[in-house]
Amino acid sequence: MEIELEINGVEQTVEASKSDSLLDVLRRNGYTGAKRGCDTGACGFCTVHVDGEPVKSCVKPVTKARDASVETIEGLGTQNDLHPVQQAFVDNTALQCGFCIPGMIMRSTALLVENPDPSEQEVREALSDNLCRCTGYKKIVEAVLDAAERMDSGTAVAADGGQTVDSDGGAATVTECSRTDCGCMEGDQ
Amino acid sequence: MDRRPDSTEIDEADPAEADEESATGAAREPDRKPVSERDAITVDEEKDDARKIVTGQARYTADYRDRFPDLAHGRVVRSDIAHGYVESVDTSAAEVMDGVDAVITPFDDVVPDKLYSSSGQSYPEPSPWDLKVLREHVRFVGDPVAAVAADDAETADRAARKVEVKYRELDAVFDPEEAFDEDAPQLFEADDVENKQSGADYSRNLESHFEGELGDVDAEFEQASDDEERHVIQTEWETPYQSHCVPEPHTTIAYTDEDDRHTFITATQVPFHTRRQIAHLFDVPIRDVRVKKPRIGAGFGSKQEMAIEPITFALHLAADRPVKLEMSRQEEFTALRFRHPMRMQMQTVVTDDGDIEAMDLYTLSNSGAYGTHGMTVANNVGTKPLPLYPRVPNVRFSGDVVHTNLPMGAAMRGYGAPQGHFAVEAHMDEVARRLDLDPIEFRLQNAVREGDLDRSVAILKDGDRFTRTIRSCGIRECVERGKEAIGYDDPEQPDKDHRKRGVGMALIAQGSGVAGKELGAAQVQMNEDGSFHLQVGGVDTGTGADTMFSQIAAEVLGCTPEDIVVIAADTDLTPFDYGAYASSTTYISGRAVKKAAEDAKERLLEWGSKLLDEPPEALDTGDGDVYSERTGNCVSLEEIGYEATYGDDKREHILGDGNHSTDESPPPYGAQFVDVTVDTETGEYELNKLVFAADCGVAINPALVEGQIEGGEHMSLEYATSGDLTFDEDGNPEVLGFRQYGMPRTTDHPEMETILVETHEPTGPFGAKSIAELPTNGVPPALSNAIRDAVGVRLTELPFTAEDLKTALDEQSADEG
Repeated sequence: MEIELEINGVEQTVEASKSDSLLDVLRRNGYTGAKRGCDTGACGFCTVHVDGEPVKSCVKPVTKARDASVETIEGLGTQNDLHPVQQAFVDNTALQCGFCIPGMIMRSTALLVENPDPSEQEVREALSDNLCRCTGYKKIVEAVLDAAERMDSGTAVAADGGQTVDSDGGAATVTECSRTDCGCMEGDQ
Repeated sequence: MDRRPDSTEIDEADPAEADEESATGAAREPDRKPVSERDAITVDEEKDDARKIVTGQARYTADYRDRFPDLAHGRVVRSDIAHGYVESVDTSAAEVMDGVDAVITPFDDVVPDKLYSSSGQSYPEPSPWDLKVLREHVRFVGDPVAAVAADDAETADRAARKVEVKYRELDAVFDPEEAFDEDAPQLFEADDVENKQSGADYSRNLESHFEGELGDVDAEFEQASDDEERHVIQTEWETPYQSHCVPEPHTTIAYTDEDDRHTFITATQVPFHTRRQIAHLFDVPIRDVRVKKPRIGAGFGSKQEMAIEPITFALHLAADRPVKLEMSRQEEFTALRFRHPMRMQMQTVVTDDGDIEAMDLYTLSNSGAYGTHGMTVANNVGTKPLPLYPRVPNVRFSGDVVHTNLPMGAAMRGYGAPQGHFAVEAHMDEVARRLDLDPIEFRLQNAVREGDLDRSVAILKDGDRFTRTIRSCGIRECVERGKEAIGYDDPEQPDKDHRKRGVGMALIAQGSGVAGKELGAAQVQMNEDGSFHLQVGGVDTGTGADTMFSQIAAEVLGCTPEDIVVIAADTDLTPFDYGAYASSTTYISGRAVKKAAEDAKERLLEWGSKLLDEPPEALDTGDGDVYSERTGNCVSLEEIGYEATYGDDKREHILGDGNHSTDESPPPYGAQFVDVTVDTETGEYELNKLVFAADCGVAINPALVEGQIEGGEHMSLEYATSGDLTFDEDGNPEVLGFRQYGMPRTTDHPEMETILVETHEPTGPFGAKSIAELPTNGVPPALSNAIRDAVGVRLTELPFTAEDLKTALDEQSADEG
C-alpha cells in the first residue's frame, strides 16, 4: 500500500506493507540515521519526531504515521552546519560508537523545545529511555546542558563547521537561528 | 584543537630520571616530551567521525543496504532445546513460499562440515575447534540449526518459522560443578573437538584445566597454620553472566564480486582473523576473501568473534545473491556471546605487619556450550589482578573451565579481569579489615612499584620469556588523588541512624595487548599537497582509534591530524593487524603507525635537506614544514610533496612503513573509589559517587580516554548492581531483551569523577599504555568494600541486591544478638 507523510519537510508517498513500522519505512527510503537496536521500543536508538513529539519509530506502525510530519536526524543540521545540539555533542566528545547518538540527539532536541533550561536531573529523566553503552552518559548529559546554555544565550554555532565557538567568549557573534525546524527557540528571544 | 589546561601540571621530563631508567635497562626515550612541546598529542582532537555520527551520515553495516538492489535478508532457525540431536529438518513449507531464496541445514553441501573456533584470535586459536556452522548436535537453547534467505526481512521471518525441526532430546546439565560429575550428561565426545586446549578432559565436560605456581604455596600455608603472627584468610566469590549489550547487533553483508572475490562488510573487531577463518572454513584462498569493517556500533569483545559471518556466507552461496544477516536483540541476549560466569576462591597468608606471604587463587569458569575464549579468559582471572602484588613470594593460580548446556561465554571487555579483580581486591580489603589494618595502606605496602620484576603475569607460562619489568607505575598517585576526590578520610554520615555511609576502593591493573601474540602494521603515503594517507590495519570499534592514529602520525610528521586521511581495517587496502582486542590498539597498532610515520619522516628530511641545502641531521618537522634548527630556514611539506612528485631531477613517492610486535604488555593502573549509603532497614543502597583515577601512560587524546573510563565504569556498575541472565530449569533463557536486563540508564548513574595520572611508558607510542579495559574492573570490589565499610557485612555474589544485603544484615544482627 501507499502511505503519504511528510519527512523533514518534504511531502512523500512511500510503499509500505501493513506490518511495517515507521522505522522500516524510513530506513528503506534512505533515512538510515535512525538505528535498529531492539525493535521493541526499549533502547531509543530509532527515536524520531512525529508531529513534534519524540517517538520510538520501531514500535510506531507506519499506518499510524499517515499524513504525519516526521523529522529525522537527517533533517537537523549538516556536517558543515550543525544544529546546536549536534555541535554540543561533538564539542563535548559525547559520542563513541555513535549508534545511539541520532536517537539521543532527537530526544534531546525535543526536550529543549519543551524545556529550554533543564536541570541535570531533568536531562537525565528525559533521556532515561535512551540507552548508551559506550559513554556512561556523563558527557552526553553535559552536552545537552551545554546545548541548552548555547541556545539560551543565543550563541551562534560556527557556520564554517570548523571551530568551536566559546560559549562565554566575547569573540562569538550572535546570529539568529535561521532554521524553522530546528527547535532551538532562538526566534523567541 | 583544544589543549588540556589540566595537563600542564604534568611534570616535565627529568633527565636524571631518564638516565636512571636507561640504567635499569629501558631504552632511552627520544619521544618523551613535556606537554608544552607536544603538538598533536595530549590534545582533545575532535573525533574524526563525530560530525558523521551526529548527522546520521555514519554508515554501519546495515546502512549499506542501498548499495545492493538485490540484497536478500537472512534469518536463523535456532534450537529450542538445551541438548539433543537434530533428527530431521523439514524445509519444504519454507522453500515453496514466494520470495524465499534459500533454506540451508547442516545436511547441505554448501554448509561446511568442518570443526572451527569462532574466537577472533591468532592462528592456531588458543580455543578449541568445537563449532560447526549449523549444528546437528545442539548444546544450548539458541544453537543455530538452519537458516533462510528471502527477498525481505518479513518473508525471511515467516519462512524461518515454517522450518520444522525434529529433535532427539538428551539430558542437559546447567551447573558447572555438577557438570564435573562422572554421571553428568557429556556435551562432547573426544572426536567432536580438534585443537584441544591444555588439561582438557571431555569425559568430565572439562574444556581446560590449568595451574601455575611461584615459590612454595603449600609450605607457606602449612607453616602459617602454626604461627600466631601469620594469618590464613580464605574467601569465596561468584559472578554471573553479563551481556555486552552491544549497541549495533551483529550484522554482516556477504557478496561475491565480478572478479569472483568474496567480500564481507561486517561488524567485526577482527577483520584479518575473520578473513583467515572464512578461508579455512570454506576452503577458499585467503587472497579471494576481503573483509571490510565500516563504522561499527561498538564491540566490547562480542565482535572479537566470527559469530555470524559463516552463516551469512553459506546463505549467500546458496541464494547466489548478496545476503545481509542482522541479529535481533533477542538473539543478542540469548544466542550470541557473554561474559563467563565464575566461582572463585582466594586465600592468602598475611603477617601481623601486613606483608602478604602467599596468595592462592582458583577459578571455576562456566564456559557454556562451546569453548570460544574459554581457557584464555579464565587465565586472565589471575594474570591481570595478581600482578598488582608482584613482590609476594609464593603465588598459585589454577582453574577449571567447564561446559554446560547454556549460552557460550566469550571475550568481553576486561576478559576475565573483572571476575579476578572482584575476588582479589575484595579479598584484600577483607584481609585488612579482619587484621585491623587500613585497607589502603595495607595494599600500598604490598602493591606494585616502578622497577618491580613481575613474574605473576607469566605464572601459567614456562620459562621467563614473559616475566616483565614494570617501567611505569602511577598507582600511588591514582590512590592519592582518588582519595581526595571521593573524600575518603572524612565521609559525613547521614542524619538518620538507619542510613550508613561508607567508602571503598579497589586497585586495578590490565595489560596493553597480548604479550608475544600481537602484530600491527601501517603505511604512510604522502600526497603532493603535504597531506598523507595512513593505511592501518587497526580497528576503530567506536573508541576513536582512527583519530588517535592520526594524532600519532601528525606528531611525527609535523602536520595536523586533519592532514592525515586514515584508511583502516580493510583486508584489501590496509596492512595486517590482529584486531581490536586485549587493549592493544594504541599500544601495538599505534606504535606501528608511529614507526611508519618515522620512516616517511626520514624521506621528508632527505628532501628537505636537498631543498634547503643542509644536512638532514640538522632538520626536523613541525608546523607543516621541514625546518632547520640551525639556520631557521624552512620548506613546507607541500613544497616537498610537489617537488618529490613532479621535480625535474629525481622523483619519489614518499612512503613509510611500520611493523610492531613485542613480548611487552605493560599494565595500565587505576584506582576505583565508590561512595555508598546503605539503608539498614531495607538493605537498599545508593551510590553517591564513583571516582576513577587512571594511569594509562601518556593520554594521546584525553577526552577520548575519559570516555573510555566513564563507559567502562558503566559496565562495571552494571556488573556490580544489576546485570544478570537467568534461565528456567530446562535451560530456556528468561532475559530476552533490554526490558528484562538491568542495563543502567541515565537515571541509574551516580556522579562520576575521572582523573588522569600521567606516567611515561618507554615502550609505548609517545609513552602511551592502554585504557579500554582497565575501567571495567573496579566497581564490584570497590562497592563490596564500601558496603563492608558502611555496615560491616561482606557481599560476595554479583550483582548485589537489596535482598542479599538485607539477609547479610539480618545474619549479622543474629550473630551479634
